[in-house]
Amino acid sequence: MHHAHIDKFSFMDSPVHRLDSRVKLLVALVFTAMVISLPGTSPGILACYAIGPFTILVLGKIPLRFAFKQVLLVSPFVLVLALSCPLYDKTPVMAAFGPWLGRITVGWMRCFTIIAKFIVTMLALMALVSTTRFSDLLAALQRLGVPKVLIVQLGFLYRYIFVLIDSAHHILRARESRRLRNLGFKAELKIAASMLGSLFIRSIDTAYRINLAMQGRGFDGKWRSLSKLQIRSCDVFFALTAVSFMLALQFFIKPVLQ
Amino acid sequence: MHMANELLSIPVAAGTLAIAGAGVGLVCRKVRRVVTSDKLALMGILGAFVFAAQMVNFQLPAMPGTSGHLVGAVLLAIILGPHLGTIVISSIVIVQCLIFQDGGLLALGCNIINLALAPSYLGYFLYKIATAGPFNSVRVYIGSVLACIIAVEAGAILVPIQAALSGVLAVPFSTFLITMIGVHLLVGTIEGMVTVAVLGYLKQVRPDVLVNALPGNVRLSRKAVLVTLAVFTLVAGAGLSLLACDLPDGLEWTYAERPDDPDFETIVSNNDSAIKAVDNFQSKYALLPDYSRRNSALGETGNNEMAEAEVSAGWTSFAGVVGSAITMAVIWVTAWLLRKKTVTANCDAKG
Repeated sequence: MHHAHIDKFSFMDSPVHRLDSRVKLLVALVFTAMVISLPGTSPGILACYAIGPFTILVLGKIPLRFAFKQVLLVSPFVLVLALSCPLYDKTPVMAAFGPWLGRITVGWMRCFTIIAKFIVTMLALMALVSTTRFSDLLAALQRLGVPKVLIVQLGFLYRYIFVLIDSAHHILRARESRRLRNLGFKAELKIAASMLGSLFIRSIDTAYRINLAMQGRGFDGKWRSLSKLQIRSCDVFFALTAVSFMLALQFFIKPVLQ
Repeated sequence: MHMANELLSIPVAAGTLAIAGAGVGLVCRKVRRVVTSDKLALMGILGAFVFAAQMVNFQLPAMPGTSGHLVGAVLLAIILGPHLGTIVISSIVIVQCLIFQDGGLLALGCNIINLALAPSYLGYFLYKIATAGPFNSVRVYIGSVLACIIAVEAGAILVPIQAALSGVLAVPFSTFLITMIGVHLLVGTIEGMVTVAVLGYLKQVRPDVLVNALPGNVRLSRKAVLVTLAVFTLVAGAGLSLLACDLPDGLEWTYAERPDDPDFETIVSNNDSAIKAVDNFQSKYALLPDYSRRNSALGETGNNEMAEAEVSAGWTSFAGVVGSAITMAVIWVTAWLLRKKTVTANCDAKG
């Protein structure tokens, strides 16, 4: 069964895709930290920060509609948090935006800031994930010091999520094709429990077979991978550009726009 | 939905990332010697199982049109043991952040603490305490429901605390805390019921799974249990004491003071000089009167009538923590004094 997973674009090719994944990960982290630590008053500076992920997405040939749709999918919790600000903080303040001058409350300003920061940081995360293969990301994490057990676990998890989601789809479809009416909470709970239980047992049996197959091919617990991470000149260039972009925003443009 | 970046400030994010990193690193190091290569596939598969299991929905009893689903964290901890459970759930949280963007990069530390470290260990401990002794299916079931509720609540309580520490909350802390506790009570109950149902199914079909026959179940020391309970008491003492209401409680309301009726005369008036002397002594030497700072030096009577000195939150928390520590010290000393004197066999080498 074909799954539309989020990192389907990570197998394309572009200058961004060819960058070293450690550099991309660290730049994304530092960028997120800088955006979050901005004291929230001006939308202008946030718009300037948004140029960064936007450029990466465009250079990496990721469709922008896809990126924004993903951001929308994960936004409900933050929207609730953001919309609660105007309800609780009603001190009025004068706000100017270009030719418009008006009186809104501090709560609304905080709301806009939270939503804007969320969009910018999520775009940065999208830029990272859509342009990096998960195995490269894992290799980067391992080189940066994440324990081996966790890396191996993440690798297996990623590999088998889609296999098990397929199994779950089969079970659910079998249930739907036998469902005539709603049987009430207790019966439905029992049925759901037996579906989960059989999925669990199927998982354990699959794991046992996979383990036998790996042992039969000489797996001894050490994870050997072919991808060699190398820092090349394009990675250095990218890192320097990103750092100077953020420094410029922090020290030159922010005092002007704030 | 997991915590987003916007709920945190940089110091708190860095701190929680460090704590989560250290915690998971410790667990990995501990597990590295125990886990052999054949368990690695199992752990990966069970992580994927949790993902797949989150797709199975069932109709909720009271609310038509809504459906609930299994979160699965406590089930993993019960079956795999807390260490392996923590690793598997941390990996799930990381994948959810990176691949499904559920939760921000900076909030990864918080999410790992709230969803993997705290609920696994708490849920496992409570389950073990509830099901100690001979296997009794009723106790297993009740133990797992309680373990699920408390584990889910622990994670839910930590979210407002982390957000408040970051200073980004617009809503009042107590409102946020109570909302989270309330909602997750329902979530925890449903989770507990589904976990119980799955455990029941497994008992019928594969009972060997339930009696800790799955590989990778590590035994926990009693010291670990005590340390966890101590930490939890500290957190509860510091955190929950802030919510403690300073209006008079039921008994005081009956006889001593009524805040809405300033002219209320106390019903009880006791002019016995001995009682007055004891009261005086107590107010002179109480360390933290009324759970806040003394406003006179130790040994003197202050005027503690409606101390207008504002009770800063720091002192209330301090009082909570100190009170817990003193209580625990008293309990420990009492237990030590009451310990059973073990009879040491005296082998006299006579003959």
